[in-house]
Amino acid sequence: MIEVSRLHKRFGEVVAVDDVSFTAGDGTVTGLLGPNGAGKTTTLRMLYGLIAPDRGHIHVDEVDVASDPLGAQSKLGVLPDTQGLYPRLTAREHVRYFGRLHGMRGAGLENRIGELIKTLDMTDIADRRAQGFSHGERMKVSVARALVHGPGNVLLDEPTNGLDVMSTRAVRKIIRRLKAEGKCVLFSSHVMQEVSALCDSIVIIARGQVVARGTPDELRSQSGHENLEDAFVSLTGIDEIRQ
Amino acid sequence: MNLSRLPVVFFKEMLDGLRDRRSLMSVCISALIGPLLVGFMFNRLAERQRESQDIKIPVVGAERAPALMEWLRQQDGIEIVEGPQDPEEAVREREQDVVVVIDDEFGKDFSEARPAEVKLVADGSRQTAQPKVRRVRLLIERYSQQIAVLRLIVRGVSPAIATPIRLEEIEVSSSQQRAATLLNFIPLFVVLAAFAGGMQIATDTTAGERERGSLESLLVNPVPRESIVIGKWLAAVVFAAFSVALTFFLCLAVLQRIPLNEFGIRFTIGPLEIIGVLCATLPMALLATGLQIFIATFARSFKEAQSYLGMLIMLPMLPGILSVLYPLGNQPWMIPIPILGQHVLLADVLGGKSPEPIWFAVAGLSALVAGLLCVYMTTRLFHKEKIIFGR
Repeated sequence: MIEVSRLHKRFGEVVAVDDVSFTAGDGTVTGLLGPNGAGKTTTLRMLYGLIAPDRGHIHVDEVDVASDPLGAQSKLGVLPDTQGLYPRLTAREHVRYFGRLHGMRGAGLENRIGELIKTLDMTDIADRRAQGFSHGERMKVSVARALVHGPGNVLLDEPTNGLDVMSTRAVRKIIRRLKAEGKCVLFSSHVMQEVSALCDSIVIIARGQVVARGTPDELRSQSGHENLEDAFVSLTGIDEIRQ
Repeated sequence: MNLSRLPVVFFKEMLDGLRDRRSLMSVCISALIGPLLVGFMFNRLAERQRESQDIKIPVVGAERAPALMEWLRQQDGIEIVEGPQDPEEAVREREQDVVVVIDDEFGKDFSEARPAEVKLVADGSRQTAQPKVRRVRLLIERYSQQIAVLRLIVRGVSPAIATPIRLEEIEVSSSQQRAATLLNFIPLFVVLAAFAGGMQIATDTTAGERERGSLESLLVNPVPRESIVIGKWLAAVVFAAFSVALTFFLCLAVLQRIPLNEFGIRFTIGPLEIIGVLCATLPMALLATGLQIFIATFARSFKEAQSYLGMLIMLPMLPGILSVLYPLGNQPWMIPIPILGQHVLLADVLGGKSPEPIWFAVAGLSALVAGLLCVYMTTRLFHKEKIIFGR
């Protein structure tokens, strides 16, 4: 469960996040939807404790991120914006490294790694070095290392960005599985179809502010558009800027 | 400070570094260059020494001084050859190191007991020709002295009268100290190894990690930044320290094989000195990599980090350059200053002096403190958003 209240962040003159509040509950998939540069990545970075908000509070399973960032981080699994790998480590070593950083060890850790390799269908790359991995393969390793400690809350920053159809399907499968396991899943995207296909709850941000939130149906009725994409365009105000 | 995850970071960076051909290469190359250069230069010196023992003297007008020529030929390793047409030109053009010219009037002057003239044509600005010139001059002076003694005896005068002053040169620097001037660049190579050995891994784990985009994923883990920075630092320290030890022991191995006795140098180093040198220089690895990690973290990109660290390598050369400009000698106040202290102690040990053990500890400790300061500042940097996400 992630609770965000009245988050503010500015970089110099630019207000990146302006009074953002929302709640992402357990067993649900929440989508953070917005055009590029709306403040999605900044919001997520504040959630996982790498950027300090100027104002506002974030609680992850009731742990305050500002006062106990490490405590909050241990309850989070994060797929950040950048998903660089270590070219000289194998896929399995990547996952093992992150598991150990979370304090896991021994047979428990190895079993968990084996499990993830099987679920994510990465047996063929498990013991290959990451040098030369395809985009989809890199994504699988990134997901595996984010989930190795079995976090109750999962943050994914544009998880399907640049993926082919098969890999996109694999990511969706993972998200549905996490939801079925009762986890709190929060992911950001600028693709309407992506969000509508997966989310129970959608938070739309534009220019750093929450412009709408609710279930896909609620958003349709709020905006008066049957088509969710039209709803998105009218709610974010992209249209107004263009005209 | 909770450092329980530090070993996890350290062992990962070690594994990563050992698989990196470039960091292994930088260790090997930095450790090999010094000893090889030392060996090469000593061999060249020895060769030149031998050359000056065994020389050909070009003489113009040899027929005018047959007795002198005969005497010279009897000297060890001396051969008389026909001199060039224009001796001054030949020396200026470096065709000859030295030419002896016998004066036209030599025979006449000599037989009438007037000073007979012998010209020694040489270029004083040519360092390499000096041993040969000195040898020829000494030989001719010795001949002159012998003749003088003979003439005095013939006239019934004691040769002692013609020698009011007997000059005896006493070399005060111990033979080992003379060795130290030749061996002076070994401290430089050892300190350089501290900078070169860990450079690649220090850059790769900081600027490289950010550039590859894996830093954000790493920092999302519930691990204090101190553990991450110190883990990375220690991995670089291992590489740098290994490089320092390897350079030092290879230099020692080379020195054992060099015919040092040909220079009149006696060189010995005991286990106590070896331990002392290692105590003083290994902490250099802590400081060098600490500085490197700090600078590489601060740099905007991997490339920028590499060029900064390339410049940083000039730092250990500074004491050497400064000692030429301001010859202060080795003084006690220098020892607590990192880098400078290591130079002083190494030069002392190689010069056959045994500094008090406390000084090794002081030099080591000061490098450790400076290294820790760098690590502390790097940790501070790792808390800055601009550093984590790039600028």
